[in-house]
Amino acid sequence: MKASKSLLSISLIVILVMSFTAMALAQDLDIIPIKVRCRAKPPMEDWRGNNFLVAEKDLNADLEAMGDLRRVKVEVIQDNLDWGEYITEFVLGYGAGESPDIWLTGHEYIGTQAEAGRIIALDGIIKEFPIYNLVFDTLWDCTKYKGETWGVPQDAEARPLYWNKTLLKKLGWSDGEIAALSGKIEKGEFTLYDMLETAKQAVDKGVVEPGNGFWTRPKNGPDFTPFYYAFGGETIDSATGKLVFDKTAGLKYYKFFYDAAQKYGSMGCLGLDWSSAWHPGVTSKVLFWVGGTWQWAEWAEKFLKDLGGEAYMWENFGFGLIPAAEKGGKPNSLTHPLAYLVSSQCKYPDLAVALIAKVTNYGPNTRHAISSTHLGILKGQTEYKFYKESRLLSEALYMLDYTTFLPNNPYWGTYSTITYEALAACVGGDFTAEKAVDFVVEGLNRELGDKVIIK
Amino acid sequence: MSDNFQLERERSSLSSFPDSKSLFSKLKSGLLPYAFLTPTLIVVTLFFFIPLVMVFILSFTNLDMTNFGILKWWQPANWTLDNYVKIFTNRFFPRILNNTLMYVSMTLIFFNVGMALVIALITTNINRRVGFTFRLIWLMCRLTPVVVYIMMWKALAGPAPMGVINKHILGPLGIGTGEYLLNTNPWLFIILVNGFIGASFGMIIFSSAIEAIPKDYMIASKVDGASTWQTIRYITIPMIRWPLLFVTTYQTLSLLTSFEQILLLTNGGPGLYETEVWSLTAYHRAFSSYFGNTQWGYGSAWAVVLVIIGIVMAIVYLRVFKFNELIQEPKIDQL
Repeated sequence: MKASKSLLSISLIVILVMSFTAMALAQDLDIIPIKVRCRAKPPMEDWRGNNFLVAEKDLNADLEAMGDLRRVKVEVIQDNLDWGEYITEFVLGYGAGESPDIWLTGHEYIGTQAEAGRIIALDGIIKEFPIYNLVFDTLWDCTKYKGETWGVPQDAEARPLYWNKTLLKKLGWSDGEIAALSGKIEKGEFTLYDMLETAKQAVDKGVVEPGNGFWTRPKNGPDFTPFYYAFGGETIDSATGKLVFDKTAGLKYYKFFYDAAQKYGSMGCLGLDWSSAWHPGVTSKVLFWVGGTWQWAEWAEKFLKDLGGEAYMWENFGFGLIPAAEKGGKPNSLTHPLAYLVSSQCKYPDLAVALIAKVTNYGPNTRHAISSTHLGILKGQTEYKFYKESRLLSEALYMLDYTTFLPNNPYWGTYSTITYEALAACVGGDFTAEKAVDFVVEGLNRELGDKVIIK
Repeated sequence: MSDNFQLERERSSLSSFPDSKSLFSKLKSGLLPYAFLTPTLIVVTLFFFIPLVMVFILSFTNLDMTNFGILKWWQPANWTLDNYVKIFTNRFFPRILNNTLMYVSMTLIFFNVGMALVIALITTNINRRVGFTFRLIWLMCRLTPVVVYIMMWKALAGPAPMGVINKHILGPLGIGTGEYLLNTNPWLFIILVNGFIGASFGMIIFSSAIEAIPKDYMIASKVDGASTWQTIRYITIPMIRWPLLFVTTYQTLSLLTSFEQILLLTNGGPGLYETEVWSLTAYHRAFSSYFGNTQWGYGSAWAVVLVIIGIVMAIVYLRVFKFNELIQEPKIDQL
């Protein structure tokens, strides 16, 4: 009885000592909340934010191993807000002192946010994480502004020209001709106007309805810029960093879209609602359209699942680069890398960058790449076992050799709005190409003054 | 005798109060109404007048996404008329103004006043319970959350085979090719969507106004052999001039500033500025654009012009409806 009493006392003392030790240790730990804000289309792009939840444990283990008493607690907020509202939310949140620590956004917003001091330059910190050396140099270029690096690339994509094989067959194309199309585009043998001619034939023969020969996205966005580049346009002056509008290229660009809508039975797409009209349209009744590689996953998951998803798409859809403007010219594509930026209100940027380093690795990035059909961002990723298994990512990878980018300039939004309004007016028949160029020159001069160079 | 006694008591009791008490009492009775008004005054000042002044000041600045937090917008040195020049030299300004006038006038004439009056007249001239039930059903679209309401309309207007109208009405009749009706007839849907909600407001006001007309007038007109139309034209309408003025003015101002249904339904499309109204432009400029180039200063200028248009319209209505005559005391009371 006495022995059991003393055993109980010893046990209690041990428990008490252990508890106090644990409490003392726990009290010393500094829990750092890190808020991560991502824009992601569920469920395909959920890994953009969810990778951080996995990385949290990994980073905390590193911190513990090196005796750092800080521990991160990640909070992920992600939804599919429109870009404009998403940017506004960050800016207003920053104004209220409540910006997220890590903010995912398109690289073209870096200029604006860097100028306003809302994000920090990362050059000093990223040097300490060699994993960042794996990221493609061209993608780092996208996150540079005024010589400094302001973000870590998160993903990349190609914006191919898609076509409906079934409709081409109805038009009389053989399987061989269809299979050779992407090669002909790459060699510059099939031009933008060849595409419009084919679209017109399809309309004339009743294969597609008028307006459905060729579609672009239904609203303003990056997809129009590669067409302007195809006609020789440039958007930024490398010497001064100012935006550029080239009137000669602009005239050809607007003529192409005017012709497409008014003469070639195309472009019946502007203003359409994405979910109820655009996606159902391109996946069934449009001959050629420009989209993104990420939409491949979206169509398979949301719009064509009942028909067989990806298997159906490989059977019925083809894709290639955006054709050259003239025979023998260079086709192109556009990639719009997203990047993780760190807010200047973040109290522990070293931890934020360390977390980003954890998700910038083969495993996490490939998870996102496969589920969302975005292209990888890391050197050697194509050799990574799981990445290789995605047919689309492998077949679309060559497009990065032809890729172009949007400019990093704070006034790109204004520039883009004006140039798109002129395009929409050409498609609607309100403007001729000449009138559209006048409108753009007048608008850019009025809104941006000497911040833009008109050539 | 007893009255004199009472008066005497009151006088003596009043004279017994010290002078200061009487002053306090006077002050109290003078300030009390203002004390009751103070909370409202504070709320209105904080949430209406101050934002109004801020929007007015912002309209003279170039505050946007690039200089937010940097530009000292409250300093007069940063104020210019550039935004107003930009509005009136904008090539799409005539289209936006035209869209706004068409949207307001069509919705107002056919629904918010027209349909409201027709429903009120019909439902007050049939069985009271049936009329009440009908008005209650009509109110449903106002009670439905706007996003759900617009989703319903989008489902109605959807392309074949999903769209209800295409599948069940136009398809069987062989009309159209099953296209997305919001793209082919956007204005029709915008006016219908807003009109169904808008009509319910006037319907309630007019119904209660008609119900309040003394029955004697109606009976007298029937005795005199007046037709239904004559009763409406010469008795009902003149008797509800005040509610008519109120509904017309209120709904005009409301339509001028409302854009949420259009935003959700067409977002100003499908063509370039095809269904863009003034208030939607102010919203687009200030809060929404694909690349996030939100221009708060420029958007504020659009909003300020809208306020001016609203004030002008209100003054016009007050004159057209002879507001001064409406608020005069009835002649019978002046005798």
